[in-house]
Amino acid sequence: MKTSTTIALACLASFVILCLAVPAPSSAALDGQELYKEYCKGCHASGSPNGEYTPLDLIQDQWTRFFDRKYERTHKDVLDASHGNRPVIEVIGPEELQAIRDFAVEHASDSENPMTCG
Amino acid sequence: MRLMYVATPVLAALLATAVASGASQENRHKRWVKEYTGTETCLKCHEEEAEAFFHSQHYQWRGETPAMVNSDGQKLGKLTMINDFCTNPGGAQWIGKVTNDDGKVLAKGCSTCHAGLGLLPAETPSRVQLENIDCLICHANGYRRDLYATEDGEWEWRPILWKNQEGMNSVARRITVPTRTMCLRCHSASGGGPNYKRGDIEYTLKEPDRSFDVHMAANGKDMWCVDCHAGDAHRVKGRGVDLAATDSPGHDLSCSGSCHGETPHDVPALDNHTERVYCTTCHIPVFAKDEPTDMRRDWSTITWSEEKGKYTYDVTLEQNVEPVYAWYNGSSYNQIPGQPVRRNTDGAVTMVTPDGDRADPAARIYAFKLHRGVLPVLKGKDWIMPVATEELYHHGDPDRAVRDAAKSFYGLDQVDYEWTDTVRYMGLFHEIPPAEDALQCLDCHSPDGRMDWQALGYDGDPLATRRTAASKDSGR
Ligand code: HEC
Ligand code: HEC
Ligand code: HEC
Ligand code: HEC
Ligand code: HEC
Ligand code: HEC
Ligand code: HEC
Repeated sequence: MKTSTTIALACLASFVILCLAVPAPSSAALDGQELYKEYCKGCHASGSPNGEYTPLDLIQDQWTRFFDRKYERTHKDVLDASHGNRPVIEVIGPEELQAIRDFAVEHASDSENPMTCG
Repeated sequence: MRLMYVATPVLAALLATAVASGASQENRHKRWVKEYTGTETCLKCHEEEAEAFFHSQHYQWRGETPAMVNSDGQKLGKLTMINDFCTNPGGAQWIGKVTNDDGKVLAKGCSTCHAGLGLLPAETPSRVQLENIDCLICHANGYRRDLYATEDGEWEWRPILWKNQEGMNSVARRITVPTRTMCLRCHSASGGGPNYKRGDIEYTLKEPDRSFDVHMAANGKDMWCVDCHAGDAHRVKGRGVDLAATDSPGHDLSCSGSCHGETPHDVPALDNHTERVYCTTCHIPVFAKDEPTDMRRDWSTITWSEEKGKYTYDVTLEQNVEPVYAWYNGSSYNQIPGQPVRRNTDGAVTMVTPDGDRADPAARIYAFKLHRGVLPVLKGKDWIMPVATEELYHHGDPDRAVRDAAKSFYGLDQVDYEWTDTVRYMGLFHEIPPAEDALQCLDCHSPDGRMDWQALGYDGDPLATRRTAASKDSGR
């Protein structure tokens, strides 16, 4: 009885790990919110001449379109002073960009959230 | 499941596509909503629906009170009553940002859960009032709003997309009849946190499993809130036990009604109970299944929460709670502000008690969440008092919060008050698990069973009494 529980738990544990690990091995380990703060917020905070952007400012479709079609074009010539003055698209690696993208889409303004008070 | 009552398969198929597409993307309102500039956009075609909605309890926060035994025909509701959660939404509580010393927003006002854009509801309709209705909160997928200061220093609720016209238009075209998610925007986190108030309406109901709720699960009946609650002309059915007003008087909502009848079982031993034991009593063995619920809230005991950066009331949260059981005939007593408080034998003020007892043929035993609280009572008059809760999160002084609220609610400058215990019975009606989880005979008919037989008006377990009587008979 005891052993079978242990085995079951072990199976369950490995299942959970596999589940988390398989679909997105790299971006699951990366914290999209932290990366957004590190690599995007500096240029898009409120009052920024580059435009104010938090995930909440665009809908999911707009974020998808941005990353698919606009990001490279609009950020290849922009130099990031807080990261060695290199072009934004070179500063951010592909896996980090994916994590930022997931974070933005998941928290877009048309993501659902219950309202509450105090 | 919305198709349950639709007669012709063709219409059903049409509706099915409309609903399915509405749930995920823009639908036929794409043609009708060119540019969303606020509620006025909807009013161009839906003035009539807006007027109807204006008169609903969802907008007025007060209404007719046929199910309140002590209302004396008054129109009452959230706006006029005091409850043991956030007390009363009027005065400074209605709208506005309360921040702590670090600038963190602590509260935005009770209108967070009003289907309006910030104005208090007026008694008679006007253009300004109709434009204040927030249609999108119940009808648009992916809609979210936030509190903004206007140019003239007032506060208003606005779609967070207000500066992003393209995104705004997209959301304003995703119109459907209200999905579960839309109703849950307000109903799942009322009272100040996830599942705090009701206990049986959790955000999990957005997409529950059948083991959690047989009605609303996709692998169950996939019903939406409106399948049970939609009434005519924007009035919903189903008041439950503790709300003051009835939005659709004369249109009751019950399990038996048009769905299950009075004898839904193949087992006579079960059907024999339904005349005196309501369905929920056996079919809701526990509530607060995913998120703990607020079982006791003490406004007299305020502590600083480092984590939240604010002062908070003392709260007892519990999960997987067993209901309490009491007789209920469809009416309730609700403590009315400005009337002397009524107390139970323990001395606690009865904020809400179900009406009825064993001798009342219209009453049955229902399942309840029993919420306890601590609220101020005005000495001399013996009136229940509200607390200015929103500001309290910042200053942390309950005495000041009581005095501020006494002034705005009762117009009193000088008050002498004392803290008192309160109790509120709240009906449980949702999150019905599969039938095999229902209470079994021995859950009630055994020495350590759930029923407090004496309190319910029995000499003891009626089954045991009968058995004793029977054995006496055969012994003779
Ligand atoms: C070094 C500054 C800088 C950084 C870092 C930066 N941006 Fe930008 N971003 C800009 C500038 C400048 C523009 C305007 C480009 C233009 O108009 O051609 C812009 C434009 C945008 C736009 C609008 C594009 C459009 O035309 O619709 C979005 C959205 C955006 N950035 C998001 C991001 C995100 C997300 C990140 C992080 C992954 C990021 N930005 C990082 C400077 C920056
Ligand atoms: C140009 C006219 C027009 C505008 C503007 C318009 N609607 Fe409609 N709406 C309609 C028509 C027509 C119907 C279908 C009525 C019917 O089926 O009988 C409808 C149906 C609805 C329904 C019923 C559900 C459904 O999908 O059939 C809702 C809810 C609704 N509209 C809400 C809104 C809201 C909210 C707005 C503002 C964002 C809005 N409408 C703007 C014309 C309009
Ligand atoms: C904007 C927030 C909000 C939304 C969205 C909302 N409700 Fe409510 N609802 C409330 C509040 C607040 C009350 C209590 C009003 C009062 O007591 O005066 C209420 C009351 C009710 C009642 C009790 C009515 C009565 O007769 O006492 C029912 C039933 C109900 N809502 C169902 C729904 C359903 C179904 C939906 C989705 C179509 C929904 N609500 C959407 C805020 C909301
Ligand atoms: C508190 C939630 C709520 C709000 C806010 C709300 N509605 Fe509704 N609406 C409903 C419900 C519930 C139904 C009934 C759905 C059903 O019959 O299945 C409905 C139905 C409708 C319909 C279909 C016709 C009808 O009367 O049944 C239209 C059109 C509509 N609403 C438009 C509007 C407009 C326009 C506004 C803003 C002025 C609005 N609604 C605000 C909940 C709401
Ligand atoms: C299977 C039918 C059914 C469904 C689905 C349903 N309800 Fe109810 N609801 C009831 C019944 C029955 C009552 C009690 C009515 C009465 O006794 O007046 C009730 C009562 C309520 C009340 C009154 C307060 C209370 O709980 O006592 C609210 C608010 C409410 N429901 C909201 C919702 C929301 C939000 C949803 C969707 C997430 C929903 N309901 C789905 C049957 C249903
Ligand atoms: C005394 C407790 C009790 C009461 C009261 C009660 N039920 Fe049940 N119900 C049960 C039990 C136990 C089962 C499971 C029976 C079984 O396993 O065959 C059940 C099964 C059911 C089923 C599933 C039936 C089936 O054949 O699968 C439905 C539907 C149901 N009840 C509805 C109701 C409704 C509606 C009411 C109120 C009119 C009600 N019940 C009142 C205990 C009760
Ligand atoms: C939720 C608690 C509950 C459950 C579960 C329950 N009962 Fe009862 N039972 C009651 C109550 C309350 C009464 C008294 C009803 C009345 O006043 O008529 C009762 C009455 C009875 C009586 C009638 C006694 C008399 O007065 O003659 C019998 C027999 C009985 N139950 C058997 C059963 C059996 C068998 C089961 C399981 C199939 C069962 N009960 C499950 C609560 C329950």
